[in-house]
Amino acid sequence: MWLWYDWQAAAVADDDGVIHDSAVWDGFFDQRALIERLHCIANGGLTQEARLLQNRFPDAKPTIHGDPLLPAADWPLPSEEALGAADKAATEMARQGVAKAAGDPDRRLEHLLRASDELRATFLTMEARLVEWIGLFLPELRFGKDRSTLAKAVGEADSLAELASQLAVSMPESGPSKSEWKSLREWGDSTATFKGKLDRLENGIRELAESHLPSLSMMLGPLLAARLCVEAHGRMRLARLPAGTVQVLGAEKAFFNHLKTGAAPPKHGHIFMHPWISRSPRWVRGKIARTIAAKASIAA
Amino acid sequence: MLSWAIRLDGRTLWSENAVFGASVYGESLRKFSGTEYRRWDPTRSKLAAAILRTKRNKSLLLPEPGSTVLYLGAGHGTSISHLHDHLCGADNDLNGRIVAVDLAPRCLRDLTYLARSRTGLVPILGDARKHTSWGVLVPHPVNWLFQDVAQSGQVEIFVTACRRFLNLGGLGLLSLKAASERWTGEGEHVLFNKVATQLTESGFEVEERIKLTGYEDNHVLFVTRRVE
Repeated sequence: MWLWYDWQAAAVADDDGVIHDSAVWDGFFDQRALIERLHCIANGGLTQEARLLQNRFPDAKPTIHGDPLLPAADWPLPSEEALGAADKAATEMARQGVAKAAGDPDRRLEHLLRASDELRATFLTMEARLVEWIGLFLPELRFGKDRSTLAKAVGEADSLAELASQLAVSMPESGPSKSEWKSLREWGDSTATFKGKLDRLENGIRELAESHLPSLSMMLGPLLAARLCVEAHGRMRLARLPAGTVQVLGAEKAFFNHLKTGAAPPKHGHIFMHPWISRSPRWVRGKIARTIAAKASIAA
Repeated sequence: MLSWAIRLDGRTLWSENAVFGASVYGESLRKFSGTEYRRWDPTRSKLAAAILRTKRNKSLLLPEPGSTVLYLGAGHGTSISHLHDHLCGADNDLNGRIVAVDLAPRCLRDLTYLARSRTGLVPILGDARKHTSWGVLVPHPVNWLFQDVAQSGQVEIFVTACRRFLNLGGLGLLSLKAASERWTGEGEHVLFNKVATQLTESGFEVEERIKLTGYEDNHVLFVTRRVE
């Protein structure tokens, strides 16, 4: 005996395809109920009608419509009208599924991280240009490691003379023209705002990574945790990756070069950003990377 | 004319626009004797590339207007929109139905938007391999099935989908991306030959093998008919 069912009906038939009993649902005008049924079937559940018939024929095997094992029979397939309703419901389900994707932290994290990468690249080129540009007019200026205040200082200065006195260097013989200075100042101003934007973006990543990947963030820091997650195409996949893969995530080029030409394998990928590795002497980095990757793989 | 809606003008394909004045993916619109047509770009749609490249009658690749078709791996709806022009017409006059399945929410976003103005298009967010989750929406087998999923095991997906959803004698089009299959080091030609044998052994008659090189590199479109 077979218990056939789809979203709107169920029927019981024997091996020869003779139908013994059937139940049809006609509430398909209610889209919400229909969507609920489609979800239920997608998750492998039985509809109300199928359960009803299952109680009447406990020995019938519930089989979804379209299963190749089912015998050929005149199953109560949906009418034209029901089919139309199902189409509308399917479209609505697709719309809901798309809306749900916005709640997926993996995708949000990816956008945040890529945006911060792009912004950082832009910011660094702008800053380098600013340093060169200012250095042309104020050749005495020397920057140590800290260039971060320069952009702000340039953006806020009213003239080159003011800037020079602020930075305690002497004025050059020929300065920029008025409009040239204006452009330079605006360049400094936007470099400074880019810096602010970058900081805010990283805060956003930290916040999301700490809620999405709590244990990994605790271990590696939220930024590295986020990067590993994005690089692995999602938290689910990262959690399933072996430690050896986590270790070389982000070093794909070197890794495939190793496979292809037999060059030395990479010791570390993105995981290099972790201070334990980047601040260690060269000869232990590989070992530490291995240990950290093993722990990260467990934490993920 | 390849069908009532698809027109071949020189070497460009055009389809009669079912939604007047609307361009779906930035394609150009043009009027032929008062009717508006949309240009069907073969570099963006493998179906269009296949139609232009086939050595047989070009209209054989198109489904019957007004029928139900299944499209696996719908993407952003480029091919789908032209297929809709052909199958359904304006306001779905012909009562056609395109069931478009794709896995990526990003693609479905474009498809659901498209479905708003084009009735008869049914977008489904689902895996082409998992028939149980959406198979009940296709209660009757179809006569035309197109598959364009760029993932490994494309042929198995195609064969199981055709057994489940394609009528005997129905046309199944499989767009095969060589790079998605495991590289055996024997070259593309060997791979495509293997696929052809696999299809024949699974009960398909391979009618034509269309190379899409030039429009879409490393792709071959298999035109098959289900015979058992």
